Amino acid sequence: MAEKMTHIQRCLASLADEPVDRLTVYPIACGVSRRTIGDGTMTYKEWCSSPKNYAQGLISGQKYFDLDFTVGLMDLSVIAGDFGSHVRMDEQNTPFVDDPVIKTVEDYETLQMPDPKKGRSGVILEGTKIFAEALKNETITSGFLEGPLLSLTQSASAEKVFMDMYNNRSAVHKALGTFTDYLKEMVKGMGQAKPAACMWDYLWGSYSCLGDKEYDEFEGQHKYAGSLNEAVGKEGMALAIHNCADLPHLDAQVKQMKPAVYTMAWYPLIPGSPSASDAIGKGYADNCVLCGTIDPQGFVRWSQEKMQKVTMNLIQEVKTALCARGLKSRYTIASGCEVPPTVTTRLENIKEVSDTVKKYGQVTC
Amino acid sequence: MDGKAILDGLEKAVISGNKNDAVKYAKDALTAGVKALDAIDNGLVKGMTIVGDKYAKHEYFLPQVLLAANAMYGGLDILLPHIPKADAAKKVVGVIGVVEGDVHDIGKNIVKTMLTAAGLDMHDFGKDVPIENFVNSVKNQKANLIAMSTLMTPTMDGMKAVVDGLIENGDRMKVKIIIGGAPTSQAFADDIGADMHAINAQEAVKKVKEVL
Repeated sequence: MAEKMTHIQRCLASLADEPVDRLTVYPIACGVSRRTIGDGTMTYKEWCSSPKNYAQGLISGQKYFDLDFTVGLMDLSVIAGDFGSHVRMDEQNTPFVDDPVIKTVEDYETLQMPDPKKGRSGVILEGTKIFAEALKNETITSGFLEGPLLSLTQSASAEKVFMDMYNNRSAVHKALGTFTDYLKEMVKGMGQAKPAACMWDYLWGSYSCLGDKEYDEFEGQHKYAGSLNEAVGKEGMALAIHNCADLPHLDAQVKQMKPAVYTMAWYPLIPGSPSASDAIGKGYADNCVLCGTIDPQGFVRWSQEKMQKVTMNLIQEVKTALCARGLKSRYTIASGCEVPPTVTTRLENIKEVSDTVKKYGQVTC
Repeated sequence: MDGKAILDGLEKAVISGNKNDAVKYAKDALTAGVKALDAIDNGLVKGMTIVGDKYAKHEYFLPQVLLAANAMYGGLDILLPHIPKADAAKKVVGVIGVVEGDVHDIGKNIVKTMLTAAGLDMHDFGKDVPIENFVNSVKNQKANLIAMSTLMTPTMDGMKAVVDGLIENGDRMKVKIIIGGAPTSQAFADDIGADMHAINAQEAVKKVKEVL
């Protein structure tokens, strides 16, 4: 059955909290979308090393799963790798840093900024340009970048950075400054690639990791995240934030940073981890489209029937919470984090989320 | 300096994450004739338990916990060689590591610290640990507990391979297995035949204490 709104109309209505034909849907299917190309055998390595393959996967995935948004999330080792960390690139596993570039206090201070147009940062910039152009009349597109603290922890190991926040504070700030400068260049590149939005991964904004004071000092403050968020706006892109942590700093990242879109996870076993209805009820969707919170592992381990049931339950929870808050549409049914790009992810479960929202996602308060 | 002041010093050194003080008070303990086990249990571990409680209440965060652990290990390095062999042999032995294909070890390190503080003799295999290291740990390390973690989906199956390997070599019933990490769950632990799943270090300690 033909839908009443296009993806773009629905997304724009949701951003403005206007009535929609149904809720927006976006299981964060990025690396896994490579499997929708051709015979489905493209490896992760092939996908993440070529702008054309990277863009082709995202474009193909959008059409295959019929998604309302498209986000260019690659993996979290991109910037660390381009700064000189060794990245272990298995054929089908998500790449990760196995030998960080920062090993000593001096390394923080002597970090050299690479050319953002080279390496996998260059793949992202060039690939974003391709998919943003190809999908500009289809969906709301977003580039994706790691935040400065995440870039640093990938480049030095999180444990080292966290201890050096106290033992070698100025050195940590020096490195964060270098990453922020680099990311400003990446934002300029994103501006030229012209996606509608730019999404930051600010995952260390979690009360499992940092308190308000530490998060503000080492990422939230104006000279880091604040100036990067502003740069996104200056380049004509909407601000989006992704944080799949268990206890996200919602006040700092939603109320203070004021993104248009915020994607979050939910950990039901962690006391205090905010569910969709908690977050909506506390006003975090009043001025921002919240996205979440289907367990990404479900895409690997659940049956299609279970995925449908989980999606239906989430839709009902969201509808009830939106109506109670006097909102119409400011929520996207999404995965809490990236759908695992592994070969064992069940593509039919991604499609099931999309189909279930089409069928049951109408909001009438 | 009397024994109580030394024990207080060890406790405060851990709470404040001061490794130099932890080492100093550990040496003072030995010089003053405080038993090494007493210094560990009533100084270092007491401090680490307080740190764990503060972390659970969100009064402390990862930086403070990591610095406290660093201080505790500084003191342990001095004190552990002075524990009588008979006392050391009574300890439950655990091995812990991040499974092959993954290097995210911050959670594993915190669990190791809290299990050490809970009195276990923990052997840290590190990260990207080959399956056979866990499988052979009952024989090689005399492990009573195997603790595995991963943050990545594709490496979760390595945990099942460890359980299967232990069944194959006949050691499965001699050891308890606990798993953790963001993509894991109790349902996954049940699926692969592990004994327990924990969502954080505090829960890991609680569950391990219940079965060992």
